[in-house]
Amino acid sequence: MFSTWELILQQLVNGLILGSFYALIALGYSMVYGIIKLLNFAHGDIYMTGAFVCLTVFGALSRAVAGWPGIILSIVAAMFLAGILGYLTQRFAYRPVLGAPRLSLLITAIGVSLVIYNAVMVITNSQPLFFVSGLDNSAGIQVGNITITYIQMILLVVSSVLMIGLTLFIGRTMIGKAMRAIAMDQDTCRLMGINVNKIIGLTFVIGSALAAIAGGMACVYYGNVQFNMGYTMGIKAFTAAVIGGIGSIPGAMLGGILLGLLEAIGTQFLGSSWKDVFAFGLLILILILRPNGLLGRSVVERM
Amino acid sequence: MSIKFLKALSMLITVSLLMVASAGCGGSGGGGSGNSDEIVIGVLVPTSGSEAYYGTDMLQSYQLAVDEINEAGGVLGRTLTLYQADDGCNANMATQAASKIVSHGVDFVVGGYCSGATIPALQQFYDANLVTLVSAANSTEITKLGLNQTFMFNSPGNHAADTLVDLLRFLGSQSVALIHQGDAYTKDLSDICESVLPQNGIDIATVQVMEKGSADVSAIVTAIRNSGADFVYWCGYHADGSNVIKQLRQGGYEGDIAVGDGSASVELITASGPAGEGVYVTSPPFVEFASGGDTFVADYTAKFGAGPGTYATLCYDTMYVLKEAIEKVGSTDFEQVRDAVQNADYKGLSGRIKFTSDRELEVSNFIILQIKDGSFALVTI
Repeated sequence: MFSTWELILQQLVNGLILGSFYALIALGYSMVYGIIKLLNFAHGDIYMTGAFVCLTVFGALSRAVAGWPGIILSIVAAMFLAGILGYLTQRFAYRPVLGAPRLSLLITAIGVSLVIYNAVMVITNSQPLFFVSGLDNSAGIQVGNITITYIQMILLVVSSVLMIGLTLFIGRTMIGKAMRAIAMDQDTCRLMGINVNKIIGLTFVIGSALAAIAGGMACVYYGNVQFNMGYTMGIKAFTAAVIGGIGSIPGAMLGGILLGLLEAIGTQFLGSSWKDVFAFGLLILILILRPNGLLGRSVVERM
Repeated sequence: MSIKFLKALSMLITVSLLMVASAGCGGSGGGGSGNSDEIVIGVLVPTSGSEAYYGTDMLQSYQLAVDEINEAGGVLGRTLTLYQADDGCNANMATQAASKIVSHGVDFVVGGYCSGATIPALQQFYDANLVTLVSAANSTEITKLGLNQTFMFNSPGNHAADTLVDLLRFLGSQSVALIHQGDAYTKDLSDICESVLPQNGIDIATVQVMEKGSADVSAIVTAIRNSGADFVYWCGYHADGSNVIKQLRQGGYEGDIAVGDGSASVELITASGPAGEGVYVTSPPFVEFASGGDTFVADYTAKFGAGPGTYATLCYDTMYVLKEAIEKVGSTDFEQVRDAVQNADYKGLSGRIKFTSDRELEVSNFIILQIKDGSFALVTI
């Protein structure tokens, strides 16, 4: 049995892990919305595709490279392929309708989501696939009654590094500056000689690669991969992005972590059947008090 | 939200298109029993979706029995043929599949894997006067429908709970945590345990829900550890079951774990890896542990290239019970065959098949297995 503070601490750890998955996916929603005001509903499916690529590549490599090197290679492959997929969706589905009314863009995104979802469903014959790494997922450290496994620590470190890296990239590099500028005013950017299409494409590649890393980590951590795994995850990450203030990078991270924590705390104190009611109830409250999300701004700048 | 709406909308359009299509050929159906050369048996099983593995196994098992019966001269000189429709383990698809089966004009219906998909289909078979033999689905909700032509060949959930009580007594467990997935079958099993276990002096420490589609159960694991449970019973299916087992061990849970029959699959062993060692299963009769199962396994493997799954024996027996009932009354008349099945007393691979007045099995066919050194071993209590 736990003491009260141990219990809360353990649930915070649980929530933090789940929250970092939400945050990594939420970043993609937020970046894309920030730059072209598109709710990219296909993003959850990119996450799922990442998980499948990771599992497939790991399976193919397993004779030659097993264990951690194999996992890293598989996740890199997932980033690569998901990045390409993200770019292709942008190039062939979204770019042609960028000038059309916003609803057309939204419907296109739903279409892209269904295409990826159903394609993977057909390819995998709707079967769940299992990631068998031979690693000991249970190995970890024990502080009092609190358990943290090594895999969980790695997950937290990797997602923190990615989030800090992305923040620096957007805030400190010329490309990041271009992204922020496009978020403010595309036409002026064009006049200033920024290759707007290229930057938008790059935004999709980065967002998709982050989702694929989350997918790869989910594949390693949870071990089962199914074609419908992106749906709930996508909806929740989208929620996280809105709560944090869609378009805001730190907001997406904050929203993701917050949603994960609320779910864990809700599970503990109200039971797992009420956790979503609790988490989403509080989120509605936050939106009533801060309609633009926690870190969102009502002005046009959204990056 | 809007994506959900659109998915529903597109589903609706698909359904209405399918209905138009099936109405077009509906006129030629309905006369299956008129063809005196064949007895057509509708098969409702999932051959796509997360449970496709079981559905395919069931279909193959029926096929094996049908081929054997036909080679031996058929039933009343007529050959048996199967007409399969895919319920996808999903209520929407199941109602479409049931319409397809009914409009094809079958004489009898077998199948039923996911209770959540089987239940919505059953009323259509009842309305069409089709004797329906449910081989695997075992929610007590099926019994509650009170359909007098629907028979359950698998032990219902309360039999699983009785077997679980035996196991708990054997292990000396005091306090049990239940996890289900919120759908008809898993919730039903959990509810039954919640009422049966306390009657036998065992505490329910906590009941948790893992929604389908969410992978993270770490918060649930912590809540279970905090509840002081010394035994966890997973009422769900094997795809998520292996993940639950791994996260229980990862999260520091050290007590015993058992899983229900929805997780009784060899895939559970490979997928849960070392964390799965020692996990118990309240299982339907696995053919390896049945007397006379060897020939069946050999025939099945020779025909389909892989061994039979969990529900294969139940399906095989279902077909033979139907055959005996038809032969006994000498016709395929609905009421006569229905009454013959009601009075059947058959010793099959899955155990004794004899029905109560509620059309459930009289004697439990559940067995207890344990994962030992990477395979299932029978636990005798």
